[in-house]
Amino acid sequence: MKKRRNPNALKIALFLAPVLVLFAAFFAYPFVFTIAASLTKWRGIGAMRFIGFGNFGKLLGDQTFRLAIRNNVVWALASGFVQVPLAVLVALILAREPRGWKVLRTVYFLPNVISTVALAMVWTAMYNPQYGALNGLRELLGLEARNWLGDPATALPAVILQGVLYIGYFMIIILAAAMNIPRELYEAAEIDGATTLQQEFRITLPMLRGSIVTAMTLAMAYGMRHFEATYLMTGGGPAYSTTTMGIDLFLKMDALRYSEASAAGVILIVLGTVVIVGIRRLLGRTDPMAEAGQ
Amino acid sequence: MKASIRRTLAVAAIALFALPAMLAAQSGEIVLKWPCIWVGKDSKAPAIAEIVDSFNKANAGKIRVEVEPQPDYNAYEQKVRTSLAAGVAPGDIFTLKLNATTKEFYGSKYIMDLTKDFSGSWKASFDSGAVAQSTIDGKLKTLPFETAVLPIWYNMDAMRKAGVSAPPATMPELWTALDKLKASGIYPMSQMTGDTNAWTSMIWFSHFAVSFGGAKVWEKPFTDKAFVESAKLMQRIFKDYTTPDAVGAGAGVSGGHFLAGRTAIFSNGPWYAGRADLRATAFFPSVTIAAAPPAGSTKGVMISRLQANVAAGETKDKNRRAAIVSFLKYLTAPENISKLAQGSGAMFAVKSGYVPTDALQKQFYDIAAASKTTANDLEAALGSEATLEFAQQLGALVLGNITPEQFCALVEKKIDR
Amino acid sequence: MRAKNKALSLGAGLLKWTVLLFFLAVALLPLAWLVLNSFKTNLELQASPFSLPARPAFENYANAIAMAELPRLFVNSVLVAVGTVFLNLLVSSMAGFVLAREAWKGRDTVRTVLEAGVLVPIIAFMVPYFTLVTKLGLYDKLYTLILVYAAINIPVSIFLVTSFMRSIPKELEEAAIIDGCGFFQRYSKVILPLSRSGLVTAGTFCFIYAWNEFVMAMLLTSSIHSRTIQLGIRFFTSQFITDYAGMFAAIVLSMLPSVLAYVFLHNKIIAGLTAGAVKG
Repeated sequence: MKKRRNPNALKIALFLAPVLVLFAAFFAYPFVFTIAASLTKWRGIGAMRFIGFGNFGKLLGDQTFRLAIRNNVVWALASGFVQVPLAVLVALILAREPRGWKVLRTVYFLPNVISTVALAMVWTAMYNPQYGALNGLRELLGLEARNWLGDPATALPAVILQGVLYIGYFMIIILAAAMNIPRELYEAAEIDGATTLQQEFRITLPMLRGSIVTAMTLAMAYGMRHFEATYLMTGGGPAYSTTTMGIDLFLKMDALRYSEASAAGVILIVLGTVVIVGIRRLLGRTDPMAEAGQ
Repeated sequence: MKASIRRTLAVAAIALFALPAMLAAQSGEIVLKWPCIWVGKDSKAPAIAEIVDSFNKANAGKIRVEVEPQPDYNAYEQKVRTSLAAGVAPGDIFTLKLNATTKEFYGSKYIMDLTKDFSGSWKASFDSGAVAQSTIDGKLKTLPFETAVLPIWYNMDAMRKAGVSAPPATMPELWTALDKLKASGIYPMSQMTGDTNAWTSMIWFSHFAVSFGGAKVWEKPFTDKAFVESAKLMQRIFKDYTTPDAVGAGAGVSGGHFLAGRTAIFSNGPWYAGRADLRATAFFPSVTIAAAPPAGSTKGVMISRLQANVAAGETKDKNRRAAIVSFLKYLTAPENISKLAQGSGAMFAVKSGYVPTDALQKQFYDIAAASKTTANDLEAALGSEATLEFAQQLGALVLGNITPEQFCALVEKKIDR
Repeated sequence: MRAKNKALSLGAGLLKWTVLLFFLAVALLPLAWLVLNSFKTNLELQASPFSLPARPAFENYANAIAMAELPRLFVNSVLVAVGTVFLNLLVSSMAGFVLAREAWKGRDTVRTVLEAGVLVPIIAFMVPYFTLVTKLGLYDKLYTLILVYAAINIPVSIFLVTSFMRSIPKELEEAAIIDGCGFFQRYSKVILPLSRSGLVTAGTFCFIYAWNEFVMAMLLTSSIHSRTIQLGIRFFTSQFITDYAGMFAAIVLSMLPSVLAYVFLHNKIIAGLTAGAVKG
C-alpha cells in the first residue's frame, strides 16, 4: 500500500514540535556533546583534545568496566525476567478484585513514592551484620552473621534482591492494562466452564502481551542504566563487585576523567539499545488490544 | 484550563525571583554569592553566619555576601567540578579541598588568580608552609584556609576499663592494647572501607606508610615495601580488631561506633571535636589524642593536610573583584579566624594567635605544635582516583581475596604520574 | 472430583494470599522502619535500628521543620512536581497522538528515537545540562526544574502513552470523524479521554520523579528560593556525619504529602477510569 502524503502534515508537525524541542535540548544536544567528549582527552579544565577511539579501547579493556557491564546485564535480566513476572503475577491477582485489592494496590506502589535514599537506608540497615533483620533470622537458625553488603561474594545478590522485590512500578502498568480488558470475554469463558487459571492463560495473558513487553523493555532499560540504589548502598564496592556502568561513569567524573566518563555513557547507551532491540525482536511488538478492536 | 494555571504560576514565580535581583541592581549593590558547605549541622556554621552578617552590616548598600547552603558535601564537590567543566565558576566565593586531583583546577581560567593580591601583611598572617602547598607553578589561585592534623583518638575510659593506662607508644603496646580491649568485650577499633575514601582506615594506612617510608613516601611507587607492609597491618587489624560491618561501612557508621562506645579507637580531624553529639557522650572528658604508634623507622611525623581552601570566581569587573578581595581579607582576618576556631575546634592556616581553652581542642593544637615534621595523607597526596581504588580494594584485601602485593599493584595502576 | 476441586481452589487461594501478603510486608517494611526510627534519638538509632524507642522523640520533627525550612521547600516541590506533570503530559499526549493515530513518513523512526531516551543515564549529562541551563540564564530558577524534569520524562511518557493510544479501537475515531470531528477534536474529544489510564500512569511516574529527584536539583539550583524538599533532607548531613534521626523525620515529612496525594488522587482517578472501560 503506497503511503500518500498525510493531509494533516502541518498539524502533525505542530503537535510534535514541543516534544522535539525539549528532546533536542535535553537529550540530543547532551548526547552529541557526550559523543564529542568521548572522542577526546578532556579533564574538565581547558580544551578538549581529539584522540579518536582511544577511550573506548581503554574502557573495554579495563577489567572493572567489563565487570560493570556484566553487572548491568545481570540487573537487566533480573528486572526483566524476575521482577516483571512477579509484577504480572500480582497484577493478575489484583485484577480479579479480591478483598481489599484497592488498598493493596496503593500499598504496593508506596515504596516507589518514597525516595530511593530512604529505601537504600532501610535496606543497608537490614543487611547490617550486627543488628540487621536478616542476620537476626540467621541467628535464629543457628548460623553466624554475615556482612552481606561488605563481602564481594554476597554484595551483588543482596543489592539485586532489594531491587527486584519492589514490583509496584510495573504492577501499575500491567494492572492498568488488565483492567481495560472487556469483562464480556471473561463472562463468555465462565459460561463455557473455563477455570480461573485457564482464563488467565487463554484470555488475560495474551491480551496483556503488549503491556508486558512494554514493562519488560522498560525494566531492562532501567537495569542497563542502573545507578542510584546501588551507589547509595555500596558505592559500587566492595572491590567493585556491585559496580555498574552508571556508577563507573559517575566515579570517573569525580576523578575529572570526563572523556572516559562520556565514552562509558556512549557504551551504556549502545549496549542498552542492543538489549532493548533484542528483547523486542524476541517477544514481538503486536498489540492484541488494537487487533481485537479491529 | 491546565495550561493557563501553569502560565499563571510561571509568571508569579518569575516575578518573585526577579524582584530582589532588580532591586539589587538598581541600588548598585554588589551581590557576592557563596555556595557554602559550612551550614546546618557543621561545627563552623554559626561562626560563618556571624562573620558574613557583620561584613554585610559594615558594607551595607555596597557589598552583600549571600550564603547559599550546600549541606550535601559530595553533591557540592560535584557542583564545583561540573560548573568548572561547563565554563562557569561555582560562585563568587567558594571552597575546595586541594589535593592531587583538584590541583588541576589551577589551570581553569574561571578561578581568580590571587597571586598579586596576596602580599604584604595579608600574606604574612598565613602559615608559610600552607601557602607553599597552595602555590602551584608560581600561581596562588586558592587561599589555604582550614588545615587539619589527623591523629588517633582514644576513648581512655574504655581503655582504662580494659587495663590500658595510656595510648600505646609502640606497635607491641598497640597489639597488647587491642587484645585487652577485645577481652573487655568491645570492638577495639573503628575501621571502614566505604564512601569514596575509606576515611578512617585511610588515615591509619597513611600513618603506617609514612612511618615505614618517611614523609615523602607518596613519591615512591605504591608497590614499595612501605605500602605492602602497611597493607599487611591493615589486614591484621580488620581481621581481629574491628567491627563486623567495617567492610563497606561509611564515615557515619565508623564514627557512630566510636560515639556509642562500641569501639575505643578512632581517627578523625580537629573539626570533629566541635560536634555536639561527641560532647554529649559519657566518655567525652577522657578522649585523648595521640600520634599513631610508629610502625616503621620514621618517628615523630604527624599526618596533616589542607582541609579546605578558599577560591573566587574570575571576573573582569574591577569593582566586583575588589569586593571579593575585601571579603576574602575579612574572612581570613585573625580575629575572625579565632572566632571560627573557637566555635568549631577546627584549625586554620592563618596565624591568629588563638589559644584554645577547651581541653580537647587544646590537645590538637599541642600535638600540631609538637610535631617536627608533617606528611600528607593518602588522599591529599595521590588524589581521588587512587584513593577510590584504595577504598574499593581494601575490602578485597582484608577479606583475603587478594594479597597485599596485588592490592598495592592495583592502586599503583591508578596513580597519575 | 468435587473434593479435588475444592482442595485445588483452597490451595490456590492460600497461594494467592501468601503472595499478596508477602509483597505487602516488603512494601510496608521500609515505611514502618522509617517512621519507627524517626522517633528515636541518634544514639538509640545507632544502637539498634529495629527496637522501639525509649520515648517518642518528637523534637526530631520539630527540628526538621524549623531548621531545614521544610515548609518553604515543600511548596517549591509542589510547584515543580505539578508543573512537571502538566508540561510533560501536555507535550507527550500531543506527540503520542500523532505517533499512535496518524500515519506519516518517518513516524516509526521518531518514535524509536524518543523512546531510546529511556536508556540514557541522566547523570552522564551533568556537564551539558549545566552548560545549557547557565547559557540560557536558567540557573538557580525554580521553573528550570520543571523544564528539565518534563523533558527527562518524555521517553517514558511517550512509551506509555503511545502504547495506550495505539490500543484504542479505530471504530471510535471513525465514528467521531463521521460526526464531523476534525484533527484537533479527535485528539481532545476522543483519544485523550480514552487514554486517561495511560496518562494517569505516566503522570504519576512524572510526579514521583520530580518529587524525589535530587542530583539535578542540587546541581542546577543554589539558593533557598529554588530548592526542593529533597535538598532539605540533606540538610541533616554535613561533611562527616549524618544526623540520621533528624534526616528520618525530614524524610517522613517529605513523604507524607506525596503519599497522601497518591492515595487520594490516584485511587479516585483510577476508579473513574475503570468504570469507563473500553466498550466492546
